[in-house]
Amino acid sequence: MSYTPIQLLENWILRQASDDGQAWLDTQREAVTTGEPKSLYMAFGFTPRKIGKADLQLTERDINDAAEARPGWQPQTWTIDQAARVLLLMSLPSEDDAAWFATIEKLFQTAEVREQICLYQALQLLPHQELFDDRLAEGIRTNIQTVFCAIAHCNPLPMELMQEPAWNQMVLKALFIGAALDPIEGLDQRVNPDLARMLIDFAHERRAAKRPIPVELWRVAAPFADEIALEDMKALYATGETLEKSAIALALVSTALDEADAILQTDPEIAKRAESGSITWREIAQQAYPS
Amino acid sequence: MKFIDPHIHVTSRTTDDYEAMAAAGVAAIIEPAFWLGQPRTNIGSFQDYFSSLVGFEKFRAAQFGIRHYCTIGLNSKEANNEALAEQVMELMPLFLAKENVVAVGEIGFDDMTAAEEKYLRIQLEMAKEVNLPILIHTPHRNKKQGTYRSMDIIEEHEIPPHMVVIDHNNEETCEEVLRRGYWTAFTIYPKTKMGNERMVEVVKKYGAERIIIDSSADWGVSDPLAVPKTGNLMLERGIPQEHVELTCYKNALAAYGQSGQFEESDWLSPEPIDQRSLFEGNSVLRGGQTPRVDKPEDDRIIQ
Ligand SMILES: [Zn+2]
Repeated sequence: MSYTPIQLLENWILRQASDDGQAWLDTQREAVTTGEPKSLYMAFGFTPRKIGKADLQLTERDINDAAEARPGWQPQTWTIDQAARVLLLMSLPSEDDAAWFATIEKLFQTAEVREQICLYQALQLLPHQELFDDRLAEGIRTNIQTVFCAIAHCNPLPMELMQEPAWNQMVLKALFIGAALDPIEGLDQRVNPDLARMLIDFAHERRAAKRPIPVELWRVAAPFADEIALEDMKALYATGETLEKSAIALALVSTALDEADAILQTDPEIAKRAESGSITWREIAQQAYPS
Repeated sequence: MKFIDPHIHVTSRTTDDYEAMAAAGVAAIIEPAFWLGQPRTNIGSFQDYFSSLVGFEKFRAAQFGIRHYCTIGLNSKEANNEALAEQVMELMPLFLAKENVVAVGEIGFDDMTAAEEKYLRIQLEMAKEVNLPILIHTPHRNKKQGTYRSMDIIEEHEIPPHMVVIDHNNEETCEEVLRRGYWTAFTIYPKTKMGNERMVEVVKKYGAERIIIDSSADWGVSDPLAVPKTGNLMLERGIPQEHVELTCYKNALAAYGQSGQFEESDWLSPEPIDQRSLFEGNSVLRGGQTPRVDKPEDDRIIQ
């Protein structure tokens, strides 16, 4: 039996919230259905005080249900107030898409950090998602890493909505601000020559400045590796730390280049692990960005 | 010793100030919404200003280990632009419930016009509705009259004095403000408001109950270290530590703690969830910068 996102959110909150919090939320959702923005604005603001801010307690099964209800949805990082706020947003009448959009935009414009995180994660469950591609492109210009990650990580919308320039900026910026690439949904599907070129330039510049290069970069750059990239990878494969070597090996294995094979042969031990699948990008990201 | 500066306009200060404040023991600050030095000409300016108080500035302060709170309100000077003031009243409900909003303020009088009084009253009612404390700005000119008039109006609205901080007091006004039961705040601001030697004398005379010290540091010639400097001066001049703690920390905590949004545990042992969204992995403006560098080994070298 499969559930809708609304049913799942309701179940999770029911399981975890106090009776008072639950009753408050029901009343507010009722008020929001009238479409009056003020009731949404006030309720949205007061949610953490009424419902609490605890992490959502989810089982493996809940996470599977979520992915079934909305492909790409990963609520593992959500909090209970976030879930409650999304239910409030989903209660707002949306037939008049211009009015609906104006109300949601106002929330974005006036949101504090946790609210922004919530709103960017909420969009994947809301109607009229196509109206938000500019909002996402604007959102990744933030200087607040947690807000950036709410857009870039565990969120299927960038992959689904973003134009290529915005997508490329998002991946590049993630590397600049020290955010992992692995949690970006659709990362491997949306690699493209422009993005790879920017990453190859970036890596080369970093190497010239004797600065470390984020190891996940090679995952996206390698499919379009040119001479410069191969030379950089070769040098780093000879001198790098194990993590860097593993990443380069994994990246090189995925390309079908003869030059790649030649580089891999210089450290066949690591190359073998990359080929056999005993190194994964997930593990590399976890080691590169321990939480 | 830890300090709270419950009235400082850090939006107009630099990161050097934040570093110095954290080093001097300032753990938490409150930034009241106020005048930016020139009048705002449209509602969007207010919206973006309020947003920065509840968003980016809170985040920026956290990068330096300082917990940032704010108050939201229409200041007295700008209440005189009635067309704009009306729009600000419509905007305020979007902000009063934000997590770091601990009061409605700073509101009150500047010129003591009818418009100033009108929006003071509207905002007092708003504060009552959401059960938030109130921060009252008292005027520079005609201070005594303005201060007394503000308290009369608050009493007309049947707001209990323990929910109200009256700020920018001096030797002339503090006796009456204390007598009527309000939190009585003093701004240590070079040359204009209070000096900290005078402040020492006030505490010697009136004790520490309900007295609050702040810097109101802003875009003018002011001192973001005014609270720790005054605290240390009080200790030097023989005021008991307990009184210093009350005036430079605990009274502000008690007054604004009534919002339910201002708790010592926020900065002494932050909840993991807040730590996640405020501190972990973040940097102020650029990727890869280490948020806090205590002493670079050699400051001629730029890494
Ligand atoms: Zn002020």
